[in-house]
Amino acid sequence: MGKIVFAGAMSHVLDPDYYQRACGDEGRRMVTDCMTEIARMGERFSATRADALIVVADDHLNAFSFNAVPALCVRIGTSVQRMKQDHAEAFDAVLDHMPEHYPLHEDLANQILEKGLGSGFDLAMSWEAPVDHAFLSPVNTMHGTRPIPPLVPIWVNCFVAPQPTPKRCFDFGRHIARVVAASPWNVGIIATGGLSHFPELSLPRVGETDTVFDRKLVHWMERGEHEPLQELTVGELHKTGEHEFLNWMVLIGAITPARAQVRYFGELRRINLAAVEWSLA
Amino acid sequence: MSRYAVNSLLYRLKKEPEFRARFQADAAAALTGIDLTEPERAAFVAHDMRRINELGGYLHLVMSVPGLAAH
Repeated sequence: MGKIVFAGAMSHVLDPDYYQRACGDEGRRMVTDCMTEIARMGERFSATRADALIVVADDHLNAFSFNAVPALCVRIGTSVQRMKQDHAEAFDAVLDHMPEHYPLHEDLANQILEKGLGSGFDLAMSWEAPVDHAFLSPVNTMHGTRPIPPLVPIWVNCFVAPQPTPKRCFDFGRHIARVVAASPWNVGIIATGGLSHFPELSLPRVGETDTVFDRKLVHWMERGEHEPLQELTVGELHKTGEHEFLNWMVLIGAITPARAQVRYFGELRRINLAAVEWSLA
Repeated sequence: MSRYAVNSLLYRLKKEPEFRARFQADAAAALTGIDLTEPERAAFVAHDMRRINELGGYLHLVMSVPGLAAH
Protein backbone atom coordinates (compact mmCIF):
# COMPACT_ATOMS: atom_id res chain seq x y z
CA MET A 1 0.00 0.00 0.00
CA GLY A 2 1.41 3.35 -1.05
CA LYS A 3 1.77 6.45 1.03
CA ILE A 4 2.42 10.16 0.73
CA VAL A 5 5.65 10.48 2.68
CA PHE A 6 6.44 14.15 2.14
CA ALA A 7 4.41 17.29 1.38
CA GLY A 8 5.71 20.79 0.96
CA ALA A 9 4.81 24.02 -0.81
CA MET A 10 7.00 26.92 -1.70
CA SER A 11 7.52 30.01 -3.81
CA HIS A 12 8.94 29.14 -7.20
CA VAL A 13 11.25 31.86 -8.47
CA LEU A 14 14.24 30.79 -6.42
CA ASP A 15 17.06 32.88 -7.77
CA PRO A 16 19.11 35.46 -5.84
CA ASP A 17 20.05 37.37 -9.00
CA TYR A 18 16.39 37.76 -10.00
CA TYR A 19 15.50 39.22 -6.62
CA GLN A 20 18.61 41.38 -6.57
CA ARG A 21 17.40 42.99 -9.79
CA ALA A 22 13.79 43.21 -8.62
CA CYS A 23 14.19 44.13 -4.95
CA GLY A 24 17.85 44.91 -4.26
CA ASP A 25 19.94 43.54 -1.40
CA GLU A 26 16.88 42.78 0.72
CA GLY A 27 15.47 40.60 -2.05
CA ARG A 28 18.71 38.68 -2.43
CA ARG A 29 18.96 38.09 1.32
CA MET A 30 15.36 36.98 1.74
CA VAL A 31 15.23 34.60 -1.20
CA THR A 32 18.54 33.12 -0.11
CA ASP A 33 17.09 32.47 3.36
CA CYS A 34 13.96 30.97 1.79
CA MET A 35 16.07 28.76 -0.48
CA THR A 36 18.05 27.53 2.52
CA GLU A 37 14.84 26.30 4.13
CA ILE A 38 13.66 24.71 0.89
CA ALA A 39 16.99 22.91 0.56
CA ARG A 40 16.49 21.54 4.09
CA MET A 41 13.01 20.40 3.10
CA GLY A 42 14.65 18.68 0.14
CA GLU A 43 17.04 16.85 2.45
CA ARG A 44 14.11 15.57 4.46
CA PHE A 45 12.33 14.52 1.29
CA SER A 46 15.39 12.69 -0.02
CA ALA A 47 15.68 10.86 3.31
CA THR A 48 12.27 9.29 2.64
CA ARG A 49 13.72 7.57 -0.45
CA ALA A 50 10.42 8.17 -2.20
CA ASP A 51 9.66 6.45 -5.49
CA ALA A 52 8.29 9.61 -7.12
CA LEU A 53 7.72 13.31 -6.63
CA ILE A 54 4.44 14.86 -7.76
CA VAL A 55 4.91 18.52 -8.64
CA VAL A 56 1.75 20.63 -8.82
CA ALA A 57 2.43 23.95 -10.50
CA ASP A 58 1.18 26.36 -13.11
CA ASP A 59 2.09 27.29 -16.65
CA HIS A 60 3.17 30.88 -17.22
CA LEU A 61 1.74 30.81 -20.74
CA ASN A 62 4.76 28.89 -21.94
CA ALA A 63 3.79 25.24 -22.32
CA PHE A 64 0.25 25.85 -23.50
CA SER A 65 -0.40 28.43 -26.19
CA PHE A 66 -3.85 29.89 -26.66
CA ASN A 67 -4.55 26.91 -28.88
CA ALA A 68 -5.73 25.18 -25.71
CA VAL A 69 -5.47 25.87 -21.98
CA PRO A 70 -6.21 22.82 -19.81
CA ALA A 71 -7.75 23.35 -16.38
CA LEU A 72 -5.82 20.37 -14.98
CA CYS A 73 -3.21 18.49 -16.99
CA VAL A 74 -1.06 15.46 -16.21
CA ARG A 75 2.31 15.12 -17.93
CA ILE A 76 2.71 11.56 -19.13
CA GLY A 77 5.51 9.80 -20.97
CA THR A 78 8.96 8.78 -19.80
CA SER A 79 10.78 12.10 -19.51
CA VAL A 80 10.14 15.83 -19.55
CA GLN A 81 12.31 18.65 -20.85
CA ARG A 82 12.75 22.08 -19.39
CA MET A 83 11.36 24.99 -21.29
CA LYS A 84 13.79 26.74 -23.60
CA GLN A 85 13.40 30.42 -24.31
CA ASP A 86 15.72 32.41 -26.52
CA HIS A 87 16.98 35.60 -24.87
CA ALA A 88 15.10 34.69 -21.71
CA GLU A 89 14.08 37.56 -19.47
CA ALA A 90 12.88 37.89 -15.89
CA PHE A 91 11.58 34.63 -14.38
CA ASP A 92 12.31 32.71 -17.60
CA ALA A 93 16.05 33.30 -17.17
CA VAL A 94 15.98 31.31 -13.92
CA LEU A 95 15.89 28.13 -16.01
CA ASP A 96 19.02 28.70 -18.06
CA HIS A 97 21.50 26.84 -15.87
CA MET A 98 19.27 23.88 -15.03
CA PRO A 99 19.51 20.34 -16.43
CA GLU A 100 17.49 19.89 -19.61
CA HIS A 101 15.81 16.50 -19.04
CA TYR A 102 14.10 14.83 -16.08
CA PRO A 103 12.70 11.30 -15.75
CA LEU A 104 8.98 10.82 -15.18
CA HIS A 105 7.17 8.22 -13.09
CA GLU A 106 5.12 6.98 -16.00
CA ASP A 107 3.02 4.45 -14.09
CA LEU A 108 1.94 6.84 -11.35
CA ALA A 109 1.13 9.57 -13.88
CA ASN A 110 -0.94 7.14 -15.93
CA GLN A 111 -2.83 5.95 -12.87
CA ILE A 112 -3.64 9.52 -11.78
CA LEU A 113 -4.85 10.22 -15.31
CA GLU A 114 -6.76 7.03 -16.02
CA LYS A 115 -8.39 6.69 -12.60
CA GLY A 116 -9.19 10.39 -12.73
CA LEU A 117 -11.09 10.02 -15.99
CA GLY A 118 -12.81 7.04 -14.44
CA SER A 119 -13.99 8.96 -11.42
CA GLY A 120 -15.19 12.30 -12.74
CA PHE A 121 -12.02 14.33 -13.31
CA ASP A 122 -11.81 15.21 -17.00
CA LEU A 123 -8.06 15.67 -16.96
CA ALA A 124 -5.99 16.78 -19.92
CA MET A 125 -2.83 14.88 -20.77
CA SER A 126 0.36 15.90 -22.49
CA TRP A 127 3.27 13.93 -23.87
CA GLU A 128 5.21 17.00 -24.98
CA ALA A 129 4.64 20.03 -22.78
CA PRO A 130 7.87 21.36 -21.27
CA VAL A 131 8.12 22.52 -17.66
CA ASP A 132 9.11 26.04 -16.69
CA HIS A 133 10.52 27.59 -13.53
CA ALA A 134 7.36 26.81 -11.58
CA PHE A 135 8.39 23.16 -11.60
CA LEU A 136 12.15 23.18 -11.91
CA SER A 137 13.22 25.99 -9.62
CA PRO A 138 11.80 24.27 -6.50
CA VAL A 139 12.84 20.78 -7.63
CA ASN A 140 16.44 21.80 -8.23
CA THR A 141 16.62 23.90 -5.08
CA MET A 142 15.36 20.95 -3.04
CA HIS A 143 17.83 18.50 -4.53
CA GLY A 144 20.99 20.45 -5.22
CA THR A 145 23.42 17.87 -6.60
CA ARG A 146 21.48 14.86 -5.27
CA PRO A 147 19.59 12.68 -7.76
CA ILE A 148 16.06 13.81 -8.54
CA PRO A 149 13.48 10.99 -8.38
CA PRO A 150 11.02 10.43 -11.22
CA LEU A 151 8.57 13.32 -11.40
CA VAL A 152 4.85 13.57 -12.05
CA PRO A 153 4.26 17.15 -13.26
CA ILE A 154 0.68 18.35 -12.96
CA TRP A 155 -0.46 21.72 -14.25
CA VAL A 156 -3.24 23.80 -12.78
CA ASN A 157 -4.54 26.70 -14.86
CA CYS A 158 -3.98 29.48 -12.34
CA PHE A 159 -4.09 32.47 -14.66
CA VAL A 160 -6.32 32.17 -17.72
CA ALA A 161 -9.93 32.73 -16.68
CA PRO A 162 -12.01 30.73 -16.11
CA GLN A 163 -9.82 28.73 -13.74
CA PRO A 164 -10.81 25.65 -11.73
CA THR A 165 -12.21 26.49 -8.30
CA PRO A 166 -10.24 26.00 -5.08
CA LYS A 167 -12.77 23.32 -4.09
CA ARG A 168 -12.22 21.48 -7.36
CA CYS A 169 -8.46 21.59 -6.85
CA PHE A 170 -8.89 20.26 -3.30
CA ASP A 171 -11.07 17.42 -4.58
CA PHE A 172 -8.49 16.58 -7.23
CA GLY A 173 -5.93 16.34 -4.44
CA ARG A 174 -8.19 13.83 -2.67
CA HIS A 175 -8.17 11.83 -5.89
CA ILE A 176 -4.36 11.86 -5.96
CA ALA A 177 -4.31 10.61 -2.37
CA ARG A 178 -6.60 7.71 -3.28
CA VAL A 179 -4.42 6.75 -6.23
CA VAL A 180 -1.27 6.81 -4.13
CA ALA A 181 -2.91 4.83 -1.33
CA ALA A 182 -3.90 2.10 -3.79
CA SER A 183 -0.45 2.00 -5.36
CA PRO A 184 2.75 0.26 -4.25
CA TRP A 185 4.71 3.54 -4.11
CA ASN A 186 5.89 6.00 -1.52
CA VAL A 187 5.41 9.43 -2.99
CA GLY A 188 6.30 13.02 -2.22
CA ILE A 189 4.16 15.93 -3.36
CA ILE A 190 5.02 19.60 -3.67
CA ALA A 191 2.92 22.55 -4.76
CA THR A 192 4.59 25.72 -5.94
CA GLY A 193 4.00 29.43 -6.37
CA GLY A 194 2.95 32.34 -4.25
CA LEU A 195 2.29 33.58 -1.88
CA SER A 196 0.61 36.93 -2.62
CA HIS A 197 1.96 38.80 -5.64
CA PHE A 198 0.83 40.45 -8.86
CA PRO A 199 -2.77 41.25 -7.71
CA GLU A 200 -5.28 41.17 -10.54
CA LEU A 201 -2.37 40.40 -12.89
CA SER A 202 -2.08 44.14 -13.35
CA LEU A 203 1.26 45.57 -14.42
CA PRO A 204 0.85 48.81 -12.43
CA ARG A 205 0.23 46.71 -9.32
CA VAL A 206 3.42 44.66 -9.60
CA GLY A 207 5.07 45.38 -6.27
CA GLU A 208 1.90 45.02 -4.18
CA THR A 209 1.11 42.08 -1.91
CA ASP A 210 -1.72 41.22 0.49
CA THR A 211 0.02 40.06 3.64
CA VAL A 212 -3.21 40.00 5.66
CA PHE A 213 -4.70 37.47 3.25
CA ASP A 214 -1.48 35.43 3.28
CA ARG A 215 -1.55 35.23 7.05
CA LYS A 216 -5.16 34.07 6.96
CA LEU A 217 -4.24 31.26 4.58
CA VAL A 218 -1.24 30.31 6.72
CA HIS A 219 -3.39 30.33 9.86
CA TRP A 220 -5.87 27.88 8.32
CA MET A 221 -3.09 25.65 7.00
CA GLU A 222 -1.30 25.56 10.35
CA ARG A 223 -4.50 24.59 12.16
CA GLY A 224 -5.56 22.05 9.56
CA GLU A 225 -8.75 24.01 8.96
CA HIS A 226 -9.37 23.11 5.34
CA GLU A 227 -13.09 23.88 5.10
CA PRO A 228 -12.66 27.67 4.81
CA LEU A 229 -9.93 27.12 2.22
CA GLN A 230 -12.38 25.17 0.08
CA GLU A 231 -14.83 28.07 0.27
CA LEU A 232 -12.36 30.51 -1.27
CA THR A 233 -13.30 31.82 -4.70
CA VAL A 234 -11.19 32.33 -7.80
CA GLY A 235 -12.23 35.99 -7.63
CA GLU A 236 -10.74 36.36 -4.15
CA LEU A 237 -7.50 34.75 -5.28
CA HIS A 238 -7.33 37.06 -8.32
CA LYS A 239 -7.94 40.18 -6.26
CA THR A 240 -5.30 39.32 -3.65
CA GLY A 241 -2.62 37.98 -5.97
CA GLU A 242 -3.06 34.43 -4.68
CA HIS A 243 -3.61 32.86 -8.11
CA GLU A 244 -1.05 30.14 -7.50
CA PHE A 245 -2.70 29.04 -4.28
CA LEU A 246 -4.79 26.78 -6.52
CA ASN A 247 -1.68 24.58 -6.76
CA TRP A 248 -1.49 24.52 -2.98
CA MET A 249 -5.15 23.51 -2.80
CA VAL A 250 -4.39 20.32 -4.75
CA LEU A 251 -1.68 19.44 -2.24
CA ILE A 252 -3.92 20.29 0.73
CA GLY A 253 -6.57 17.96 -0.64
CA ALA A 254 -3.98 15.22 -0.94
CA ILE A 255 -2.84 15.43 2.69
CA THR A 256 -5.93 16.71 4.54
CA PRO A 257 -6.33 16.96 7.54
CA ALA A 258 -2.58 17.30 8.12
CA ARG A 259 -1.31 20.53 9.64
CA ALA A 260 1.28 22.78 8.08
CA GLN A 261 4.48 24.07 9.59
CA VAL A 262 5.85 27.30 8.18
CA ARG A 263 9.54 26.95 7.42
CA TYR A 264 9.87 30.45 5.96
CA PHE A 265 7.66 33.47 5.45
CA GLY A 266 9.11 36.75 4.30
CA GLU A 267 7.43 39.95 3.14
CA LEU A 268 8.89 41.59 0.08
CA ARG A 269 7.30 44.42 -1.85
CA ARG A 270 7.16 42.27 -4.96
CA ILE A 271 6.04 38.95 -3.44
CA ASN A 272 5.67 37.28 -0.09
CA LEU A 273 8.11 34.39 -0.11
CA ALA A 274 7.09 31.20 1.64
CA ALA A 275 8.11 27.63 2.34
CA VAL A 276 5.68 25.33 4.16
CA GLU A 277 5.87 21.67 5.10
CA TRP A 278 3.12 19.40 6.36
CA SER A 279 3.40 17.00 9.27
CA LEU A 280 2.36 13.60 7.97
CA ALA A 281 1.41 10.73 10.23
CA MET B 1 -11.10 43.96 -27.08
CA SER B 2 -10.10 40.46 -28.06
CA ARG B 3 -8.34 38.57 -25.33
CA TYR B 4 -7.40 35.88 -27.83
CA ALA B 5 -5.99 38.26 -30.46
CA VAL B 6 -3.86 40.18 -27.97
CA ASN B 7 -2.51 37.15 -26.17
CA SER B 8 -1.90 34.94 -29.17
CA LEU B 9 0.12 37.83 -30.63
CA LEU B 10 2.11 38.19 -27.40
CA TYR B 11 2.72 34.45 -27.44
CA ARG B 12 4.05 34.62 -31.03
CA LEU B 13 6.31 37.51 -30.12
CA LYS B 14 7.72 35.50 -27.24
CA LYS B 15 8.10 32.16 -28.97
CA GLU B 16 8.91 33.06 -32.60
CA PRO B 17 12.26 34.91 -32.78
CA GLU B 18 11.91 35.64 -36.51
CA PHE B 19 8.48 37.21 -36.08
CA ARG B 20 9.81 39.18 -33.10
CA ALA B 21 12.68 40.51 -35.21
CA ARG B 22 10.28 41.62 -37.96
CA PHE B 23 8.11 43.29 -35.31
CA GLN B 24 11.06 45.11 -33.79
CA ALA B 25 12.18 46.31 -37.22
CA ASP B 26 8.73 47.55 -38.31
CA ALA B 27 5.88 46.82 -35.92
CA ALA B 28 3.11 48.21 -38.12
CA ALA B 29 4.22 46.11 -41.07
CA ALA B 30 4.57 42.96 -38.96
CA LEU B 31 1.01 43.39 -37.72
CA THR B 32 -0.48 43.63 -41.21
CA GLY B 33 -3.34 41.19 -41.58
CA ILE B 34 -3.58 40.45 -37.84
CA ASP B 35 -7.07 40.97 -36.46
CA LEU B 36 -6.68 43.69 -33.84
CA THR B 37 -8.77 46.68 -32.79
CA GLU B 38 -7.23 50.06 -33.45
CA PRO B 39 -6.36 50.64 -29.75
CA GLU B 40 -4.72 47.21 -29.64
CA ARG B 41 -2.76 47.88 -32.82
CA ALA B 42 -1.65 51.30 -31.56
CA ALA B 43 -0.45 49.81 -28.27
CA PHE B 44 1.60 47.15 -30.04
CA VAL B 45 3.09 49.65 -32.51
CA ALA B 46 4.10 51.83 -29.55
CA HIS B 47 5.55 48.80 -27.71
CA ASP B 48 3.39 49.96 -24.79
CA MET B 49 3.24 46.89 -22.59
CA ARG B 50 1.32 48.65 -19.84
CA ARG B 51 -1.42 49.52 -22.30
CA ILE B 52 -1.33 46.01 -23.75
CA ASN B 53 -1.82 44.67 -20.22
CA GLU B 54 -4.78 47.02 -19.75
CA LEU B 55 -6.23 45.72 -23.01
CA GLY B 56 -6.14 42.13 -21.76
CA GLY B 57 -2.57 41.02 -22.34
CA TYR B 58 -1.59 38.54 -19.67
CA LEU B 59 0.90 39.85 -17.17
CA HIS B 60 3.39 37.00 -17.48
CA LEU B 61 3.60 37.56 -21.22
CA VAL B 62 4.03 41.32 -21.09
CA MET B 63 6.77 40.73 -18.51
CA SER B 64 8.69 38.17 -20.53
CA VAL B 65 8.71 38.88 -24.28
CA PRO B 66 12.45 39.20 -24.99
CA GLY B 67 13.51 42.72 -25.79
CA LEU B 68 10.02 44.11 -25.22
CA ALA B 69 9.25 43.04 -21.68
CA ALA B 70 7.99 45.39 -18.99
CA HIS B 71 9.44 44.76 -15.54
